[in-house]
This record gives sequence, C-alpha cells and structure tokens, in this order.
Amino acid sequence: MINLAYKDVSHALGKFVVTSMGVGMLLGIVMIMIGVYRGMVIDAQVLINDINADIWVVQENTLGPFAQSSRVHTDLKDSIKAIDGVDKSANLTFQNIQMPINGTDERAFVVGYDPFGEINPINPKTIIKGRAILKEHYEIVTTDKLGYKLNEKIALGRHEYRVVGITHGTVSSGGDPLVFLSLKDAQELQFSYSNFRIRSDRERGIKSSAQQLVNCAVATLKSGYNPQMVAKEIQKYKHKSVYTQSQEKEILTKNLIKMASKQIGMFTVILIIVSTIIIALIIYTMTLEKIKEIAIMKLLGVPNSLIIKMIAQETLLMGILAFFFGLIFSHLIYTKFPKRVVLQNPDAIMLFIIVIVASIIASLIGIKKVISANPAEAIGG
Amino acid sequence: MDNIAIKTQNLVKHFGKGDTLVEVINDATFEIKKGELVALIAPSGAGKTTLLMMIGCVLTPTSGQIWLGEEKVYDNKWLTKEKRRIRREKIGFIFQAHYLIPFLNVIENVTLIPQINGVSLKEAKKEALELLDYFGIKDKANEMPANLSGGQNQRVAIARALANKPEIILADEPTAALDSKRSVDVVKMLKKIAIEQSVAVIMVTHDEAMVPLCDRVLTIKDKKVYNLSIDEYKNKTVV
Repeated sequence: MINLAYKDVSHALGKFVVTSMGVGMLLGIVMIMIGVYRGMVIDAQVLINDINADIWVVQENTLGPFAQSSRVHTDLKDSIKAIDGVDKSANLTFQNIQMPINGTDERAFVVGYDPFGEINPINPKTIIKGRAILKEHYEIVTTDKLGYKLNEKIALGRHEYRVVGITHGTVSSGGDPLVFLSLKDAQELQFSYSNFRIRSDRERGIKSSAQQLVNCAVATLKSGYNPQMVAKEIQKYKHKSVYTQSQEKEILTKNLIKMASKQIGMFTVILIIVSTIIIALIIYTMTLEKIKEIAIMKLLGVPNSLIIKMIAQETLLMGILAFFFGLIFSHLIYTKFPKRVVLQNPDAIMLFIIVIVASIIASLIGIKKVISANPAEAIGG
Repeated sequence: MDNIAIKTQNLVKHFGKGDTLVEVINDATFEIKKGELVALIAPSGAGKTTLLMMIGCVLTPTSGQIWLGEEKVYDNKWLTKEKRRIRREKIGFIFQAHYLIPFLNVIENVTLIPQINGVSLKEAKKEALELLDYFGIKDKANEMPANLSGGQNQRVAIARALANKPEIILADEPTAALDSKRSVDVVKMLKKIAIEQSVAVIMVTHDEAMVPLCDRVLTIKDKKVYNLSIDEYKNKTVV
C-alpha cells in the first residue's frame, strides 16, 4: 500500500526539512533552557562538593554562608573541634569582588581558607596549572574562565597577588568564577577598612575586631558519627546555626536558586507550548495547502483513516526531525554560553516524549480539517 | 434492470430552509444504460454538478430514489453508510482539471484506488500499465504530474477513473480545458471506453459540438431533468 506521508514528504522534502529545522531550533532553545537549569543546580553544589565538609557552622538564625550573610569568630573552628565526633575543622570566608582583567572588571567569588589548615576547599582534580596556595600571603589561585596566566600579578585591595594555580570548572553557587586566597588575605580583603575609615572609627571610639571574623566554620567527622547528631550537639553548645552537607545543598538549591529555576521552568513550559502551537499551525497550513487533494481523495473513495494516517505520520515525522535538529543545534551552541549549561540524556528523552505528545496534539487540528473537508469541493461548477 | 447502470426516480434537491429555500432539482427521473455516453448539458447554475454529485453519492438528495447498477443506494435516505466504498468500487470520476495527486507519480495515482480496494500492488501496477498503454502514455508511468502536459495529465486522470473497473464514469466538463481537437479525442475515447468496458458515462459539457458524439442528452430546464435522444435534443422537441 502506498504510504501517502512518505510520498508527500519526498515531494516537498526541502520545505519539510527546513520547516523542521526551524522548529528544531526552538526545541534546541528549550534544551538549552533545561541545560541552564541543570547547570545552575550543579554550580550551586560545586563548591560544597569540593569543600566536602560534613558540618557547616554559621551565624545563629541564618541560612549562611551562601544564602544569607553570616559572620562567626575565628576561634569557632577550635571550639567545635572539641565536640565529640568532629575530626577536622577549618574557617572559611566567602565574598564577591570585582577582578581587574584587561582594564575591565569581572565579577568573581573569593574563597578564603587556611593553606596550612585541615580542610582544603580546592579540589586537586580541578587544578589544571600550577598548585594550591602554599604561603600565608599574596598568592592566589584563579579559575581559567577569568583568563589570568600563571605568575601574573593581580592588584586587589592594598596588595598584589601572584597567580600560583589555575583551576577549571570551579564556580560559586551563583555561577561566578572562583578565586582562592589565604584566609588572612581574604579576611583583610573582606573586613579591612581604608586608613581614613580606621582613623574615623578610632575617633568615635569604635574598636575594629573584623579581622577576627570569618563567614563560617566547617568540619569533617570521624567515621561512624551521624552528621545530624553532631550538628545538634554543636547547635546546643555553641548557639550557632549548624547544617549538614545535604542540608546546606538543600538551602542552596531550594532557597538560592528556587526563584531562578521557577523562572527557567516557566520559560521552558512556555517554549514547549509555543513549539506545540507552531507545529500545529504548520501542520494546519500544510493540510490547508492539500485540502483540494484531500477533497479529491475523499471523492475518489480514499478512506479517512488513510488520509488521517498521512497527516499524523507527517506531524510525528516533523516532531522527530525537529527534535533531532534541536539536539544537534543545542550541542553546537551550548558551550558558547557564559554560564554552565548541562545537557543530560534523561532531559533529552523527556523532551522527546513531550515533543511526540505535542506532535500528536498538533496533528489533531489537521485531522479535524481532514474530517471536515467536503469531497464536493473537488468539483467546480 | 440488468442493463441499467443508473436509475433515478423523482429525485429532488433543495438547498436551505424556509425563506432561503432554493429548489435546484425538482424532478429527475431517468435511466442510463451500460455502454451509453450521455451528455449533461444545461446553463450554468442549472444544477448539473448537483445532479452529478447526487448520482456520485457525494451530495444527499432531498427526496427520491437512486439505483447504481442493481444496488438501490438512496430511498429518501442513504441505504448504506459506506458511500465512499460505493464511489471507490462503482464510480470513476473525471474532472475539468486533471486533479491528480501532485505528490504521487502517474502509476501511483492510477493504482491508489485499486490498492485500497484490495488489489495487490503487483496486479494493480500491471493493470495500470495496460491502461496507460491504452492511452499511449505508458512511458510516463514514473513521471510526476507536474512534468506532463495538460493533455497527458487528462489521459492519466481518465486512466485513474477506469482503474477501479467502474460501472459508471462521472465526468465534470472533462474537455473544458482542452482545444477542440483534443476535446473530440477525449469524448471519442470516453465513447470507446463506454462501449468496450460496458460503462455508463455521464459527461457534463457546455460544448454543443460534443453532442453528436454522445448517445443521449440529459438536460435541465426549470429544475426538471429531461433524458433525450440526440434528435430530440437537436429538434428541441421536448425542452
């Protein structure tokens, strides 16, 4: 039996392929949008995963240090070490700064840590050039995205820092590139005021204790200890907010990127609806273009089922082609985006199913037109 | 009844209702025998196409009866739900333009309906090639309609109308787009088909020159259908 869809598509192959490519680009954008969301979730967890601490201790009644501002004293890391089950502890600082690059400023996220401490936030696997910080002052590790070269000098605050290491794929929860400084340098950068401000504070009788502050203390546990139990203990004695690693991740993904993900989700849903409408309109137009032939076929006695099959097959074929064009398009352009875009197979499979369902829905409008086509329209006069 | 291909009895067709009611055919009672080529001649708007479509089970009459061969298909209501099957199996259509399916090549256009009727592709192709050969266009079997001339396409359309071995051919102004020589050729061809294949052909035409080539004339005057011999039509004895 003749496959009418195959014949019709072959007859106008160029037009069909170009139309599918157009819809495919739209689907490619949908894939990118999903990828942006996945990238945000991954970015949100990169730093937490690299630090790999079991416990996060932050300022009381805050969701710090990422979702909310948090300041704790430097000696906190020593006092929590006294809690049963804590193996290692360290102080960390986090802040956003503007990095000078080729005369312009680039936003970056500074992680301050004690290079001689027990917990190192730099994942050695991410270092692609140089090394981690080995001195207490004036060394910096930057991510490759910022474009600095090894041994390059960067002026930050009152000092210059030499690039001793370059990492890859290290970003903050907001997707900003990471730079690492020693804890003391980071504290000075975050908490030190200008000489004028210090003199002004002294005259007002204000004593600065900022250098004694960090944004949080983190700890790893000895094996066999339950992080939640230890967190409870720390909270009980230290009057701080304490989170386990999974809770901190949840704060980041649920609180910090909740709105952004909702926004992207909304945008993705709208794009899918728009794609469905576009496919439906294309199929409707294609059906209208063939309405005379359809009327003739009906007049000659071709059953509706055969004509409906043609419309449905063409719609499905367009959906499938558009999906694969979208897949190719998204894979060609996703690396060009400034922030991480993660294209995952399960998302592609889910989108494929949605496209198939959308195509079936889209074909209904064409099928309705076929059913209502009057065979008498084939005859003039 | 054995020799009758089309029979209508008191066939009536109205459009609209109440104040907007338009009476198109008021009384169509006639018989057409197998092997006859009948010209359907009437002024524009007289109801030629309406009559053709009622016989072709496309348009529902308001009242009356229709027989196609021995099968009574309409008696104030359709007696079958499978009007499309009746069209597919009993009727061949030829239009003013060829109206071939543009995305099917010549042989696919001709074999489409036989295949739907259950004929194997091999058998349908064999018979289609014979038909194309009969019309002198066998060498065009794999061409697309867009690559053929108007006359060649019209011959393919006639071959398509014959491919399902119909008992009736309904031709709606098949010569309107052709010059006079080709028109005569097409009508002669229809006459030959009617005789050789024992098919009843109703051909709508405006061209009086075609009348002598036909066996009878159906004409519509004041909404009434008259079935006349050629002489009766020429002498205007009834109308």
